[in-house]
Amino acid sequence: MKKIILASLMSLSLTASFAHVAQAQSPWTGGDDLPTNPLACDATPATVEAKPYDGGEPTNAPDRKGKTIKVVDVPKLVGIGYFNATSKGIADAAAEMGSMDAKTDGPTKANIDDQITLIDNYITSGVDGILFAANDPVAIAPVLKKALAAGINVVGYDANSTPDARQWFVNQAEFNGIAKATIDSLAKEVGEDGAFAIVTSTFTTPNQARWIAEMAAYQAKCHPNMKWLETVEAQEDNILSFNQANTLINKYGDELKGIVGMTSVATPAAADAVTQANKCGSVAVVGLATPNAMRPYVESDCVKSVVLWNPVDLGYAAAYVLRAAADGDLKPGATSVKAGKLGDLSVINGSEVLLGAPFVFTKENIGQFDF
Amino acid sequence: MKKFLRHETILAVLAIAVLCVLAYQSDRFFTVDNLLNQGRLMTEVGLVAILMTFVIATGGIDLSVGSIIGLTAILTGVFWQSVGLPLPLAALAAIACGTLGGFANGIIITRFGVPPLIATLATLALYRGLAEGISQARSVRGYPEWFYVLGQGNVLGVPTQLWLLILTAIAAAIVLGLTRWGRTVYAIGNNEVAARFSGLPVDRAKVAIYTMSGFAAAVAGVILVSRVSTTRSDMGTGLELDAITAVVLGGTSIFGGRGTIAGTVLGLIIIQALKNGLSLAGVKGDGTIVLIGVVLVATLLISNIVHRNGNR
Amino acid sequence: MAVADHPTPRSERSVLHRLYSAYGQEIVIVLALVVLFFVVGLINPRFLSPSNLNTIFSGNAYIAVAAIGMAMIIITGHIDVSVGALIGVLATISGTLAVAGYPVWVAWTVPVLVGMGVNALIGVMVAYARIPSIVVTLGMLSILRGGLISVTGGAWISGLPPEFLIAQAKPFGVPAPIYFMVILTLAAAFWMRYSEFGRSLYAIGGNAEAARASGIPIERRTVMVFMIHGAFAGLATLLFATQLQIIQSTVPPNLELTVITAAVIGGVSILGGTGTVVGSTLAAILFAAIGSALIFTNVSAYWLRAVIGVLILVTVLADMIRRRRQGRA
Repeated sequence: MKKIILASLMSLSLTASFAHVAQAQSPWTGGDDLPTNPLACDATPATVEAKPYDGGEPTNAPDRKGKTIKVVDVPKLVGIGYFNATSKGIADAAAEMGSMDAKTDGPTKANIDDQITLIDNYITSGVDGILFAANDPVAIAPVLKKALAAGINVVGYDANSTPDARQWFVNQAEFNGIAKATIDSLAKEVGEDGAFAIVTSTFTTPNQARWIAEMAAYQAKCHPNMKWLETVEAQEDNILSFNQANTLINKYGDELKGIVGMTSVATPAAADAVTQANKCGSVAVVGLATPNAMRPYVESDCVKSVVLWNPVDLGYAAAYVLRAAADGDLKPGATSVKAGKLGDLSVINGSEVLLGAPFVFTKENIGQFDF
Repeated sequence: MKKFLRHETILAVLAIAVLCVLAYQSDRFFTVDNLLNQGRLMTEVGLVAILMTFVIATGGIDLSVGSIIGLTAILTGVFWQSVGLPLPLAALAAIACGTLGGFANGIIITRFGVPPLIATLATLALYRGLAEGISQARSVRGYPEWFYVLGQGNVLGVPTQLWLLILTAIAAAIVLGLTRWGRTVYAIGNNEVAARFSGLPVDRAKVAIYTMSGFAAAVAGVILVSRVSTTRSDMGTGLELDAITAVVLGGTSIFGGRGTIAGTVLGLIIIQALKNGLSLAGVKGDGTIVLIGVVLVATLLISNIVHRNGNR
Repeated sequence: MAVADHPTPRSERSVLHRLYSAYGQEIVIVLALVVLFFVVGLINPRFLSPSNLNTIFSGNAYIAVAAIGMAMIIITGHIDVSVGALIGVLATISGTLAVAGYPVWVAWTVPVLVGMGVNALIGVMVAYARIPSIVVTLGMLSILRGGLISVTGGAWISGLPPEFLIAQAKPFGVPAPIYFMVILTLAAAFWMRYSEFGRSLYAIGGNAEAARASGIPIERRTVMVFMIHGAFAGLATLLFATQLQIIQSTVPPNLELTVITAAVIGGVSILGGTGTVVGSTLAAILFAAIGSALIFTNVSAYWLRAVIGVLILVTVLADMIRRRRQGRA
């Protein structure tokens, strides 16, 4: 009896996994299977085609122009430097505006259930606006649509939802833009035929999966001789990232020329691993990170530059976009929006607001930042 | 009977106190809309917790329920999209697999004598791993509209899944409190060796209970997919601790032999009310977590002091 | 199974047989380690390189140290699911002190003391208020996790002074974590086996009422063993917090499950009363080695967790079968 059950369980799972092989998969582990759109190999900017507005609309939103609005910011999770920075940006903007009451409240782990419950509670409590960074674009859609139906303004940043679940999305940079910047700076440091590995958070995190897929497409197109070795998962835990990075260094030895960190947790941990293994200079570390976390490694010349955008600016812009949407100043079809000290930001892809070019932190400027 | 009533009475008093305080703190808490909505949100934990009451009452535990939720969710998507089954059949097949996972737990515990904590700790890793491996980190989305009625829709003005929760609670209460199966459960929890010697079908009962626990988790998995309209391999992570908290708060002794469905339901209500009410009152997520921890320990402390007849 | 009904008298059994029945699980783990290193070393010799061995041993030493305390708790018949959150909190305390300019030894000792204090509270509730340990620690887990975010606001700690980073020190060329792990394990093992207190823990876990009848002060010992566990959590924190130049203020995910699994695989029976801390340390190393081995042998990353789950199951089943055969189930 036992054996029959075991056998059926095994065959059931095997069938399911074989069925999956039929699906198209990214050539690199960790990438998703959505269509990619690699940029040109030189500095030609991407052709941005105008798309009609595809965001959602709040139903019967009250007139909020000029009034103080209560806003809640729900990031992917709290307790990591990146979202502390976006939170600071939102707080800065709110203080500057004087007419926004902003509070950050996020789950203590990056899963969808807690985030959805939090947002649901805030809908009930009657906030005027919701800022979010989604743990999953589709899972968060039903509760955001509920918010829109309740007349709440909804603006996303960092991690998008499906377009019809929010009014606007502040995009730090296009996925293919980030991919290009990362691979280009990697190629500059490891050479056109260097081999590299990736440390990501989990394979199910949508942003990371998108970036990896775009990176794969761009590398195949513009740096075909570079070699991707493997991708490892390290959750959002820096000790685990450190151990994984070390294992990669140990496994590939001299063949490994570069490590790409896909999260603000992974990159400093990878840099520490390279430092402690005395491989500064022979193994490049490239990736997303906050300046505070990377300062010791940039100052010791172990890491040449950190490619990112400014998350404080991201939060700041998101707050201003929400204010503009609530006031009715930012309407569907607009092509730009004024975001405080950042000036005019352009609208792309129908309902996305582009923050701008990726920001590069180097030894020269890293001392100026504190987040 | 007096012993049984004591903890549940404390709990009922606590529940009323909590509801009153929270209603006072925010006028949006005690509205029909909000209460029904909370019912919708707590169904997944609720289904698992109700069946977990049986498990813990026998002196066992099931840590793998969260992973079964994830596995069932993934399999629903896989059976529908990759294997091509029609959606109802895919969901049923996925539930069957989740139930099989619960059955496997039962077999490992009874046939091989592995303590439930370890057995379900192992299957927690195994089932989650299967979910990750089978899904290859892909999500399945784009279900037909009618599927969302289960997780997001209403029937007669009440959220669909809430009906399921209510029916399950009533059925479970009847089985545990009034049938021979229920008495078998308590007997096993009180003294398994004696129960065995009295000729009760101990092994069969245990396998049945763990299978049902898996079944509840599997159904919760499908409901979750319908509620969030996608599948992810990390669904249900940590849910087992929430369920266990509700069951223990409800007065079920972790050593077995004691516990009622009514208690579990009260425990669920208190926790959900706290999560919702505190947020409405302006307390942030982390503060809520701390308070729930304090409530859990404090309630049991009080209950033990009141009961001071040296419980096992 | 008839053989099990009449076990051969102790005097007739060979030394090997006696060793095996006393330390069966530990021997199995050592064998598994040897086989693992051998096989993976054949596939990719770099698995055995000093730097990789260092990664496996000292990078995961903190788990082994935490598992020592956990093993003691489980032997006594209890459990602690809050140890991961506790280590997260202690790490933040330690780092905050270090950055605020306190002498390094303060930043090292305070976490140990706080760990003992928090666990003393847990111990009192378990021993005197008779609340089951899983419940108390479940509640404590929530309190610590939420409390950590409330107090720190989620900020990371950076700018740690270099002399604070003890985990990176290499006295006589051997990384400090390895000293910690080996010395603490051996000390704890000797103490558990040869001290009256240590042996009483086995008695309490095996049969609490009999232990009480023989005069062992159960409540006091329970509180003390929780405090000792807290001290080990503090020591584990030293290794955990000083490995990198920044400290996250989130709870390391799944740490308590890993520590419990290491203790359990190491032969500590969840039923209480048997097992050694040496076993739990070996199991923690085995886990780390398996994690590394799976990367070295190119097992598809998507199946990693499933493989580990199967391994846990197999180990546990093998252990149960072995116990059955000895008539101990």
